Amino acid sequence: MIDTLRVAETPEGIFLQMRAAGALPRACAWALDFLIRAAALFTLAGMLAALGASGSGVYLLALFTVIWLYPILFEVLLEGQTPGKKIMRLRVVNANGTPVTWLASIVRNLMRTVDMLPIAYGFGLVASLADPYGRRLGDLVAGTLVVYVDVPVRVGELPSVPALASSISLPATERAAIIEFAERSARLTPERQAELADLLPMLTGARQSVAVRRLHGLAASFLGRA
Amino acid sequence: MKQEAFQAQHEQDWLNFERWLDAHAGRRERDRKTAEGLIPAGQFPLALRRLCQQLALAERREYSVRLRDRLRALAQRGHQVLYKPAPPRLQHMLAFFSSQFPRLVRAQWRVMAVSAALFFLSLIAAVVMLQLRPELIHSLFDPQQLANFESMYDPARTRDRIGRSEGADLTMFGYYIFNNISIGFRTFASGLLAGIGSIFVLLLNGTIIGAVAGHLTSIGYGEPFWSFVAGHSAPELLAIVISGGAGLQVGMALVAPGRRSRARALVEAGVIGAKLVLGIFAMLVFAAFIEAYWSSKLWVPPSVKYGVGGLLWVLILAWLWRGGRDIRSGDTGP
Repeated sequence: MIDTLRVAETPEGIFLQMRAAGALPRACAWALDFLIRAAALFTLAGMLAALGASGSGVYLLALFTVIWLYPILFEVLLEGQTPGKKIMRLRVVNANGTPVTWLASIVRNLMRTVDMLPIAYGFGLVASLADPYGRRLGDLVAGTLVVYVDVPVRVGELPSVPALASSISLPATERAAIIEFAERSARLTPERQAELADLLPMLTGARQSVAVRRLHGLAASFLGRA
Repeated sequence: MKQEAFQAQHEQDWLNFERWLDAHAGRRERDRKTAEGLIPAGQFPLALRRLCQQLALAERREYSVRLRDRLRALAQRGHQVLYKPAPPRLQHMLAFFSSQFPRLVRAQWRVMAVSAALFFLSLIAAVVMLQLRPELIHSLFDPQQLANFESMYDPARTRDRIGRSEGADLTMFGYYIFNNISIGFRTFASGLLAGIGSIFVLLLNGTIIGAVAGHLTSIGYGEPFWSFVAGHSAPELLAIVISGGAGLQVGMALVAPGRRSRARALVEAGVIGAKLVLGIFAMLVFAAFIEAYWSSKLWVPPSVKYGVGGLLWVLILAWLWRGGRDIRSGDTGP
């Protein structure tokens, strides 16, 4: 229940991994959207002030658009992101990981009426604290989910050391652990690298920086370098 | 196959895929040309399937976490592009309003009947009560509000305006859109409170509209009032009834989901509700247009307004009753 990772299988046979966002980043996104909407209305009101009575009709139409249509249009047309969600790196998706559809977005945004009750999104907050994926009531009815946008990952460069054949045969998970150690080495201090490498004296037959270098060499050979 | 060999074999495809995603997100002509050069039009689903297969292989062979993360991130981005909802098409919208929406309303006839009963019975009851005991109006409205209603329909003062205290057509159009459609949306959404919210809104609106109508009739302002509301009454009142029904069926999904799980029932009710909301939206925009640009026109004699209003009742009820009858299977619309 603590893990917010949600996995959805796609028709292509892979598993999408989505990290559900909790109430706090979503509230921040809402607050940002609120500022943007208020600023837009304020600007419009200033421009319409000169137009008189007809102007207020346009203002009411704009008010309707900003209150009801703003989140729906942004979510469907801009990949599940209102400006506030974009800044907070959030995205609305359907429960199966596909981009949010028109009907789902309409439901989740109209249901804000209920989530806002009794005051300041009280029902929505309770629902998102009780739900393992942080969904408010509107999300539950719409079958949607607010997830973090994945930060693009860069493949770390392996330290360039000559490959070193392993003297013993290791199971796949242990090979993967050594490869991951080598890939992560760039982000670890030399002391931490040495500390970790020292856990495997039998495999490396060495200590400290020599052990680190040998593990890098093993990783290179597991990856298939000459 | 060792990881490095696998990477060397497919690296160019992955780079192309990534560049294509970047170019696809761009809006300029140059971006479109770049995208076309990387993956030809129509070939993207194939490229995504190939990438997914390579990701599955990488997972199966337990290649390094970095590589798998990179491929998965690419696949997830591609997935977002491939399954993006199609923009609404005119043909689908026409099919929706001409057949799918009326069929949906008929399919939900139970909640629609309950909603109509709640709304119209409370409306009629309020009108009748105020003919019998006119003083009851004072328990519903304070004198300020009553004076406002009365001034809008005072036969002595409706030579220059009717149905509004002031304001141009466009102002009132904006007001009706904002006010009425918001009420319609809230009537639907509040159904999630086990239907109680929708029931409350229906009874409240029925009583208020009925009380105003009954009061104005009993003090002799009947003709300006009824001729003003006749034109837009059909789309507006029926839209409120349908939004009440849409809310009630969400409430029913929560209270009595039947053989489905409650979560499943709610999602299904949400889809039905959203489709109904699209129809409600269109009906209320139409109603607001009539209310702002026809109902308030003083040069139209009341008899014509009654005629047009009656005609709209017949047409809209006929649309809801017959629309989409001749289509055999439910294959219309998105």
